[in-house]
Amino acid sequence: MLLKILHTDKMKLRRSPVWLAFLLVPLVPAFLGTANYLNNLELLTSDWYSLWTQHTLFTGYIFLPIMLGIYCSYLMRLEHNNRNWNNVLTMPANPALFFLSKVIIASIMLVFTGIWIAILFVISGKIAGITVPVPYGQLSLWILGGILGGMVMISIQLLLSMLIKSFAIPIGISLAGGFSGLAVLSKGFGHIYPYALMAFGMKSNNNMQEISQGDYGQFVIVCIVYIVLFTIIGGMIIKNKEL
Amino acid sequence: MKLLKCEYLKTRKRYVWITALVITAFCLLWTLHGNYNDFMLDNGWMMFLYQLPIINALFLPILAMIIASRLADIEHKGVMLKQLCPITKKGRLFDAKLVYGLLIMTVSLVIMYVGIVAGGKFIGFRNEFPVRLYAIFFLFTETTTFVIYILQHTLSLLIKNQIIPFFIGIIGEFIGIISLFLPSVPFLRKSIIWGYYGVLGFVGMFGWDKDSRYANAYFEVMHIDWTFWFVLIACGILIYIIGRKIFCEKEI
Repeated sequence: MLLKILHTDKMKLRRSPVWLAFLLVPLVPAFLGTANYLNNLELLTSDWYSLWTQHTLFTGYIFLPIMLGIYCSYLMRLEHNNRNWNNVLTMPANPALFFLSKVIIASIMLVFTGIWIAILFVISGKIAGITVPVPYGQLSLWILGGILGGMVMISIQLLLSMLIKSFAIPIGISLAGGFSGLAVLSKGFGHIYPYALMAFGMKSNNNMQEISQGDYGQFVIVCIVYIVLFTIIGGMIIKNKEL
Repeated sequence: MKLLKCEYLKTRKRYVWITALVITAFCLLWTLHGNYNDFMLDNGWMMFLYQLPIINALFLPILAMIIASRLADIEHKGVMLKQLCPITKKGRLFDAKLVYGLLIMTVSLVIMYVGIVAGGKFIGFRNEFPVRLYAIFFLFTETTTFVIYILQHTLSLLIKNQIIPFFIGIIGEFIGIISLFLPSVPFLRKSIIWGYYGVLGFVGMFGWDKDSRYANAYFEVMHIDWTFWFVLIACGILIYIIGRKIFCEKEI
């Protein structure tokens, strides 16, 4: 049944230009981050690690949270419009699966964005003339960490977008979340604050040592707990509340 | 006035003003938060003028996006344009919504800058408050924000699917912010309206380095670029004229 719901969600998104934004936005930090890296070679001496911070600093903290906020708002708006919830909830399926399906759909977009960011990172590094081998192992960890942290944000944003019918207000909350995540991360609580987990997982602003010694065990557990928790809450609300 | 009153009535209980105030409060907190050492207390007012372009470039375009989308979405959701356009001229409707949105933006900016001045006094900045510089800076911030708002307003009214204006705004803002960190590529910030928070910034910090840090640092007023202020106003007028014309000719 979940596969069928996923298929219907996919159909709803067909011909929607949303994917284009996820394709275009990472190009900006890739291009300008590399330019900034090349302009400051005397300060940024950690090769791939320095380039990574240039590529992901604003992406992880501000722009990806807002983009996810917009995407989640859009996914829920499809149901808010034209009283579509009435149709959705009268389908012969467990209503909670509709929420789970949207979490999966948004996560798939996040996975593609993550892979795209990684590809751009490697190409940019080669163009910038970094001769040290690409740290593929760590790059995979940063991307996976970002995806996992981003999924937490997706589950919260979907929950908010489901409860708040406005398109823009949940996006404002994701903005506030991203900024507060930056503050919380600087205070050392980035590993438990839902809106900081993506930047924490991506290691967007850490230096080389911290990036190398990152402990992902606790991070993965916290992320999974949050994702499961918010997805269950979302599913229960859909089940029990008239929308 | 009647149309403006209508806009107010439509947005009542839709949390538009509260949303604007919350984002403004957040922006204000972000500006004022920090550990102030002696150097900062001695140069606080100038330090704010140095830092504010980045903070403005981060928050204000998002505020503009949200407010413009919220005001336009009211009409799109209920297919209200079909009912409104036979009652009043399309151009007047476009203007009324624009003026109402700009009013919200202005109130937010005034609150923000009054908050900054009050915050600076409360923190106890030791240098004299440069009234003239702050007045010019406010004018520049207001102009840039207005031009961005006009663009967002036009996009939000013309495009039913609100995700598109949001993504255009986000990409523009992203380029605008990164352009502030690339002073060696000045054409980048001058070529997009989101970069004008940086173009019209006129306070620079000099003498700071990694080792001595603030020991030799000082702030200085650089060239106040009135030419690009006029360029920005011209851009705003152009966006307004084109946007209004397209809206008036568009089939609702």
